Amino acid sequence: MEALMTFIFGSWGSDIAKTLWILLKIIAVVLPLMLSVAYLTYFERKVIGYMQVRIGPNRVGYHGLLQPIADALKLLFKEIILPTASNKILFFLAPVLAIAPAFAAWAVIPFDLNLVIADIDASLLYIIAMTSIAVYGVIIAGWASNSKYAFLGSLRSAAQIVSYEIAMGFTLVGVLMCANSLNLGKIVIGQVGGFWHWYVWPLFPLFIIYFISAVAETNRAPFDVAEGESEIVAGFHVEYSGMAFAIFFLAEYANMILVSMLAALMFLGGWLSPIPFIPDSFLWLLIKVAFLLFCFLWFRATFPRYRYDQIMRLGWKIFIPITILWIVFIGGMMQTSWGYLFH
Amino acid sequence: MIEFKDFVFYALSFVLVASGLSVITSRNPVTAALSLVLAFFNAAGIWLLLQAEFLAIVLVLVYVGAVMVLFLFVVMMLDINLDKLREGFWDYLPMAGFIGLLMMVEMVLVFKTKEFNLSPVDDSLKSISNTEVIGNTLYSTYVLPFELASVVLLIAIVSAIALTLRDRKDSKKINSSDQINIKRQDRVRLVAMKSEEKYVKSKTKDRK
Amino acid sequence: MIGLSHYLILAAILFTISVVGIFLNRKNIIILLMSIELMLLAVNINFIAFSYYLNDIAGQIFVFFILTIAAAESAIGLAIIVLIFRNTRSINVDDLNRLSG
Repeated sequence: MEALMTFIFGSWGSDIAKTLWILLKIIAVVLPLMLSVAYLTYFERKVIGYMQVRIGPNRVGYHGLLQPIADALKLLFKEIILPTASNKILFFLAPVLAIAPAFAAWAVIPFDLNLVIADIDASLLYIIAMTSIAVYGVIIAGWASNSKYAFLGSLRSAAQIVSYEIAMGFTLVGVLMCANSLNLGKIVIGQVGGFWHWYVWPLFPLFIIYFISAVAETNRAPFDVAEGESEIVAGFHVEYSGMAFAIFFLAEYANMILVSMLAALMFLGGWLSPIPFIPDSFLWLLIKVAFLLFCFLWFRATFPRYRYDQIMRLGWKIFIPITILWIVFIGGMMQTSWGYLFH
Repeated sequence: MIEFKDFVFYALSFVLVASGLSVITSRNPVTAALSLVLAFFNAAGIWLLLQAEFLAIVLVLVYVGAVMVLFLFVVMMLDINLDKLREGFWDYLPMAGFIGLLMMVEMVLVFKTKEFNLSPVDDSLKSISNTEVIGNTLYSTYVLPFELASVVLLIAIVSAIALTLRDRKDSKKINSSDQINIKRQDRVRLVAMKSEEKYVKSKTKDRK
Repeated sequence: MIGLSHYLILAAILFTISVVGIFLNRKNIIILLMSIELMLLAVNINFIAFSYYLNDIAGQIFVFFILTIAAAESAIGLAIIVLIFRNTRSINVDDLNRLSG
């Protein structure tokens, strides 16, 4: 293939061949991801249905298995309404900005040993940077819609995302102190040797804080004040309809999968099997991610919505101090003879 | 024949310059802020070409993720009279253009000299991770400036809060810590008392 | 082949743009702050280009400090702008003449 490309494009050939090869890898990651996002919505409706003693979708296809596809088709054919006096370019840019970082972060996620699109040194930092961009989709959507409900929702959600990002960043500092690396692959390899070597044990408070912050960061229940159906109708995407709305919806679920994936990689040993003599495999990663995603849905069916000031209090007054204290504690312990417990 | 990497450089710098122009000329401050975000992204791309991957990611993280969000918040919340701010916008263009052109020409004349025409070295930076090199240098040679920078950040946090915090007299805010820490004993008092028989009897009579 | 001078000239163009921006937006204090950010970005590009071509990590360390200080500066700057707006209902630089006796 490289020879062919060199023949067609001259000296650019190898570069273009490389680019095409990377594009292929990206498609190989993004297509299954889109599919799992679609079926996560089905999973959510089924799980919450059973928790509330209902059946959930069961009309389209066998046990309702074609429901996500029917939903997608319905949204595709709906009209996208543009509010008057809205900023047209920004209005259509916002959904793209919401979903792009959720997919871009997958570039550095390792699925198995050396099975990663871009094996860069600072991959954890890259992921924090990408998740911090996601807030732009929300802010721009709220502002460009020219509606006060949308704007209030976007301000709420942006403030919430920015505050919980700090707690989340600090928990990741704990992980990289244990692993001595910013590379996700090396972080997983640092947890080799059975489930008692996983970072979830020395970093247990950080794991709990990471997971709760992840729920807040993705604007999921019980922290979904940004949408708050009963207060501000639907938050920042109240003016969006059809496919533009669907993209926000997809971005939320893609972010859920991303944060669960990160939690599985950093705290639960990624693709490593819990017991040493069972072989490591990609399937273990899938099981861990599926369990964490189930927890997301479980929370939604269980907890009532937090009030906004309570959310802010939890983030700033409880999570950030605890994470800082635990980082100092780990740093101190590493200097003592018990330091091996934290590596 | 230009190389692929050169093509990437020219594409990034074209967008960088265009978004820079958009920052200074756009009518709406929100557009200006978003153009600045685009400029930061392209600058991060250019830094990646220069193998400064740690700083490129930190630029996106700190500037795009935090500082520009702050800018956007302030710009969106303030109710600004744009027409008044745009009055006489182009008045100073001749002078600005003259000074800018002068600076440009001087700098380009300096940078075109052969002293600045270095070609990239086959460096040792390539083998070790950029993050590690920066970390090692930062915590050894530059440890005191590093601590000073953290003090500056602390001062910035404290002063930004101290400047903008105000207690509004008409605010009806509630203290959520107090609310959460309420115990049953604070609100409910169980009292043991006899039922008043007369009353009960008369009630039952009425029913009949 | 892209050499050091290409990066330096790019930074020079960016720096000039932000200087012109300060002239043009002399009334709007928020865009003035943005122009300063752009100026610092141009300076940082210079530092990183030198760091790469001279194979010296000190340039990148310097950029690290500039980023820190600039973030602190813009946070305090925006806090002051919010305060000014609360008191005068305007962010026009022409209205900031209260101290002139």
